[in-house]
Amino acid sequence: MYDAPQLGNAMDQTTTKISARNVQVHYGDTHAIKDVNVDIDAKTVTAFIGPSGCGKSTFLRCINRMNDTIDICRVTGDILIDGEDIYDKRVDPVQLRAKVGMVFQKPNPFPKSIYDNVAYGPRIHGLAKNKSELDEIVEKSLRRGAIWDEVKDRLDAPGTGLSGGQQQRLCIARAVATEPEVLLMDEPCSALDPIATAQVEELIDELRSQFSVVIVTHSMQQAARVSQKTAFFHLGNLVEFGDTTQIFTNPQDERTQNYITGRIG
Amino acid sequence: MSDQHIVSAFDRDLEGIQAHVMKMGGLVEAAIVDASQSLLNQDEELSAEVIRRDQAIDDLDTLINEECANLIALRAPAALDLRMVLSVMKISGNLERIGDYAKNMAKRNTVLVQLTPIEGARGALQRMAREVQLMLKDVLDAFIERDVEKAQDVLLRDRDVDQMYNALFREFLTFMMEDPRHITPCMHLHFIAKNTERMGDHVTSIAEQTIYLVSGSMPEDNRPKATRYEPE
Repeated sequence: MYDAPQLGNAMDQTTTKISARNVQVHYGDTHAIKDVNVDIDAKTVTAFIGPSGCGKSTFLRCINRMNDTIDICRVTGDILIDGEDIYDKRVDPVQLRAKVGMVFQKPNPFPKSIYDNVAYGPRIHGLAKNKSELDEIVEKSLRRGAIWDEVKDRLDAPGTGLSGGQQQRLCIARAVATEPEVLLMDEPCSALDPIATAQVEELIDELRSQFSVVIVTHSMQQAARVSQKTAFFHLGNLVEFGDTTQIFTNPQDERTQNYITGRIG
Repeated sequence: MSDQHIVSAFDRDLEGIQAHVMKMGGLVEAAIVDASQSLLNQDEELSAEVIRRDQAIDDLDTLINEECANLIALRAPAALDLRMVLSVMKISGNLERIGDYAKNMAKRNTVLVQLTPIEGARGALQRMAREVQLMLKDVLDAFIERDVEKAQDVLLRDRDVDQMYNALFREFLTFMMEDPRHITPCMHLHFIAKNTERMGDHVTSIAEQTIYLVSGSMPEDNRPKATRYEPE
């Protein structure tokens, strides 16, 4: 019988969006990420799970070069988006971050109006030719952020005046306004109540039709609910990566099993 | 793998469910032994006892299902824990059905004692029930010990039960052809044989669940099967 080659399969419909090869991250003497290799699919939600300090956030931040701003941080290996090395000298991190959006744990709206929060990115990247085009982008982004109906009558109100859940959805609207291809989310729901969490999760599922979403979460149930692929990190190693259903029903590594079943590992 | 959860109440819940499965298994084993014994000795009193005791088995099935539902709702089990809950719900259902068949055997015995006895049949039926009961005992051991090999062994032994059933089926046919007065008792005995054969299938299902629980995938269906019956 013909053995399918291990890498790549002609029948495979999914395409790789992000490719990490031998990625190592050091913070000074601390070896935070140890030789991580992973392929993240386009139009898929990928969850990174693992105990605190396992490197999942560090690795997430590598994908849009957020670690550049930390002096003692050293990243080696290759991270390719659509086959292009994002650590290449010719790559402008600002342009990269327009393509790879990010949402953080704590909602961090700018101290500006709701409208300006969303319009900021498109303005600096020159995505709108005139005011009416910008209005369109803002409305579309706020709709994608599932917050349009709640704020459409007070777009001039400060973004910081919204509730926590609304602020987080505003930040998501702001992140999608520049039409990124990849959306990184670092514990986007940890400060939200269950209803706001459900709204954000619904939103993540909708965003999947256009973006690759990578989400770091401490809630395993959230990883199970929103993602199609799950990566388990432990002590800087990528221990196991696979279909979310497989990881949650039949993990192959003992460390994964111990972690997701809440056992003393 | 560590067998201890960080939340120790989770362990207590799982152990509680498992203890109820084992208790249920013990009751079902006893039901098979006593039902076939009552058949052998034409003991109506023991038959009545088996029928009466079936309620306890049904109650345990209900209890186990409730405990599993609660565990799913409150603890969101994953991986091995999830497979444990899923397999236990099925195993409990299998045990409940086996209990019903034992009860049915006892019920038919209360009718059979009034009818012309069929020579040799009771002994053969008791041997068949004995084999099923031993398989049940072994599969429950395999479940509690998470022993895939033992479970696989039980899977293979189901063929013997099927063959015993086929032999009895032919025997009952000849009895009925010999004398129409044998039809009523032979029909009852045939149902007992068929039900015992079905018990074996439920034991097989428990073995498959055990393999799923340990390995995460169902066994491939390649065990030998005896033909169900051979038309004359």
